[in-house]
Amino acid sequence: MVKIRRAYEALFLGLFLFFLIITDLRYLRGWPVSLFLEATPLVAVSTALTTHTLYRNLVWGLVVIAITMMVGRVWCNWMCPFGILHHLFGWIGNRRNTKQMIEVNRYRKIYAIKYYILAAMLVMAGRWIVPATWAAPGDIVAAYKQSHASGVGRLTGAVGSGLSRAISESKTGSSTLQIGLLDPIALTVRSMTTSVLPTVHTATEGIYTEPREYMWGWIVGVIFVGFLVANWWIPRFFCRAICPLGALLGLFSRFSLWRIDRDPVRCTDCDLCLKSCEGASDPQGDLRKSECFVCLNCIEDCPHDALAFRFLPRKASEVTYPQVGRRQLMMAGLFGLLFYPMTRQSGLVKKNFNKAVIRPPGSVAEDEFLRRCIKCDQCIRVCPTNVLQPAMFEAGLEGLWTPIMVSKMGWCELNCTLCSQVCPTGAIREISIAEKLGTGPFEAKGPIKTGTAFYNQGRCLPWAMDTSCVVCEEVCPVSPKAIFTRNVEVTSRWGETLELKRPFIDPVKCIGCGICEHECPVKDDPAVYVTAIGETRDKSRSLLLSLVEDPQAQELVSV
Amino acid sequence: MSEKLTRTQQKNLERLGGVNPAEQPIPRRQFLTQLGGTAALTGAAVGAGLIIKDNWGMEGVKPPPPVRLKNYAVELLPSKPSLVVVRSNPVDSHGFASKDEELKAREDQVLKMVKAALSEMGGIERFITKGDVVVVKPNVAFDKNPDLAATTQPETVAAVVKLCLGAGARRVIVADNPINNPESCFFKTKVGDAALRAGAEVMMPQHSYFEDLYVGGETIKNTWKMFYRPFREATKVIGVSPVKDHNLCKATVTMKNWYGLLGNPRNQFHQDIHGIISDFALMMKPTFVIADGRKLLMRNGPTGGSLNDVKKADAIVVGTDCTAVDSWCVSRLLEKSRHEIIYLDKVIARGLGKDWRPQWTSEVTV
Repeated sequence: MVKIRRAYEALFLGLFLFFLIITDLRYLRGWPVSLFLEATPLVAVSTALTTHTLYRNLVWGLVVIAITMMVGRVWCNWMCPFGILHHLFGWIGNRRNTKQMIEVNRYRKIYAIKYYILAAMLVMAGRWIVPATWAAPGDIVAAYKQSHASGVGRLTGAVGSGLSRAISESKTGSSTLQIGLLDPIALTVRSMTTSVLPTVHTATEGIYTEPREYMWGWIVGVIFVGFLVANWWIPRFFCRAICPLGALLGLFSRFSLWRIDRDPVRCTDCDLCLKSCEGASDPQGDLRKSECFVCLNCIEDCPHDALAFRFLPRKASEVTYPQVGRRQLMMAGLFGLLFYPMTRQSGLVKKNFNKAVIRPPGSVAEDEFLRRCIKCDQCIRVCPTNVLQPAMFEAGLEGLWTPIMVSKMGWCELNCTLCSQVCPTGAIREISIAEKLGTGPFEAKGPIKTGTAFYNQGRCLPWAMDTSCVVCEEVCPVSPKAIFTRNVEVTSRWGETLELKRPFIDPVKCIGCGICEHECPVKDDPAVYVTAIGETRDKSRSLLLSLVEDPQAQELVSV
Repeated sequence: MSEKLTRTQQKNLERLGGVNPAEQPIPRRQFLTQLGGTAALTGAAVGAGLIIKDNWGMEGVKPPPPVRLKNYAVELLPSKPSLVVVRSNPVDSHGFASKDEELKAREDQVLKMVKAALSEMGGIERFITKGDVVVVKPNVAFDKNPDLAATTQPETVAAVVKLCLGAGARRVIVADNPINNPESCFFKTKVGDAALRAGAEVMMPQHSYFEDLYVGGETIKNTWKMFYRPFREATKVIGVSPVKDHNLCKATVTMKNWYGLLGNPRNQFHQDIHGIISDFALMMKPTFVIADGRKLLMRNGPTGGSLNDVKKADAIVVGTDCTAVDSWCVSRLLEKSRHEIIYLDKVIARGLGKDWRPQWTSEVTV
């Protein structure tokens, strides 16, 4: 059995790395490269909480939940690439003798921390329940008054429609999605994308065509390596103590029909089963069902065949529920409740929105974006120009490591929608080239704008330094160009007459792709630069009245 | 236990009373509950997931269906004028024992004026019936003293509220979405206090009070955020506006008063000011509107700020069509040429309102 498991581990880690490598313009084709991100049930559950919908392939998460409800947390030791990496790192760093190994694999109280982390994150995601509860009585009364039905039907109808109204009204502006910080897949993809792969590339030159650079990527890398190295002191430290996905699966594994069971007669209490126990789930006593990774090592290690993976064993010999402290759980919930109001103090979502938070095309409006983005940085991985960067605090504490476009690093390629194709949660919803450019059926709606370019005339060569340039006009990809020039005649310092083309922006045509900023020869602080105003994803951030939607422009779905 | 047991294992077996509990058959109840429970929950989870599945990421961002404003207009008898100008000599501020008395006298006078105008048109009962929920929309855009004439006069709002309540209105809601701080605006223009004393509710904007309103006009082609909450139950709408100069559209009277119901970023409409004001004729069909021409802001509009910009006059104009009222006010009160006001031409050209005509007008003096 353990050999089969090892084969699966190799298979799933290999598949993950394969998908990671081919998340690239050159190899992408039709591969489901975001499969692992879509399969983590934590993403499914928490985005269902924040958005009340389940985006596209996130149903895979439900399949994993279903598997967990049958056979327990097999995800953690058979499928999860981060778990498998931990397994590998623990094995590499293991210099203990048998006795030490037994001791280090006993259950510890700190392994309950993951449940508090999960609680805090789910409360953050479901915080809309609070305003919905306040609004519900009023909405139910209003629905009752409006209803024309009679009797019981009127009451139940009013309760139903009042509740759904209260819920949908409370959805926006009251919750935030933070599971991505610690969801193992999001964390691994993010770490690979923004630090591991660029580092490996610099060493081997074998991954990208052009080297990639990511601002503050090293912080992500240090955290990633830190978690891996932690295995040398506490095996599977991340999985046992931190992983909120493990905690979620731990809750679901209480239903599992199969589990490790100890034969109390055959067992001689030698504790050898603890030697390679990955989950620290006490197979030598009453099994902690929520902690067991179903690695099956204990069965292999038992000298008396006292352990078996059994169908519906006795209830009496298991610890069904995770052991958590009620007070700690309440404190975690309270933290989750207050986190959102605290982070929104920055005003960065509405009034004080940051000009540097330029989201990739297809992104939904900022509030919704923060309720969908899991910071997996898969979009950053696939972006062919390096323009997408993990944000630090530009988008607030909530927006840590979410994608923003930094035009000095790259530009948004006109005929490219790769980021929208790989996004697992619809924070960047899938768009077609036609929708991005506003052609064909999207003619009336116009192109997707990510921002608007402006000139800093004090730094622009033809504006400030009597020098011809207009590289910006040359590279402007839209047709007709958003950058146009006006000819002027000036007298130079030495008295000659110079003819100069001075560039201007047509804000109607500009889509904010940033290639002008990227190519501007005034490299350090470009004379033409893009800011977020005018982005089409949010009506309240529009700049020109003439671009406000046309009624003929129906909500068309791309692709 | 067919195989040979070690000594420890035999001891274990004895301790357990000779029966190995791990080898007992599964109790039927446990079998059914666990299997059934797991199957039901798995089914529920997957089912719920399929119900909320969103293939294109559009469900979550779909805005709620836009609201539409009702037509709040009432039918007048053909014999009655649709525009009435009431004149009355301004109350002399001298000769009163106290400020309160002076205020009282002014309130009484305005009440009389508005009442006279309405009775000329068929009486307040023609407009307000028992049980009506009335929204009164003053213009309190700025936090200024009413004497500066940049905002609606408080006693006019009070008069309208009293008349509505007197005619049997169930609720009267005074609402505006000012440019300056709402609390401050309602306080300093004294409109908030006057409305409350007259028995109305004051509703100030909050984020959740805004909804997408379908306009389908020339400038708002589709929808725009609107301060809709006061209109949820409303059956009648009355606009009460000052008569003043405006830097961009040249005059702020009853039509531009509806601008104060729009949500942000409404300042974009300055890119097409005449278009947006003419859209209001499509958006709002009020029961009637009042242009308060007793204090006129002649220049430096729409904010004013100096008493030198204010001209005292003696007229209150009541009408059912904003276009006619505005047209009368700009030429007769603001001393502007009628065609300087481009939005009025636009409204008329779009067929959304009719210019002022002497035969539909009556002038009374109280």
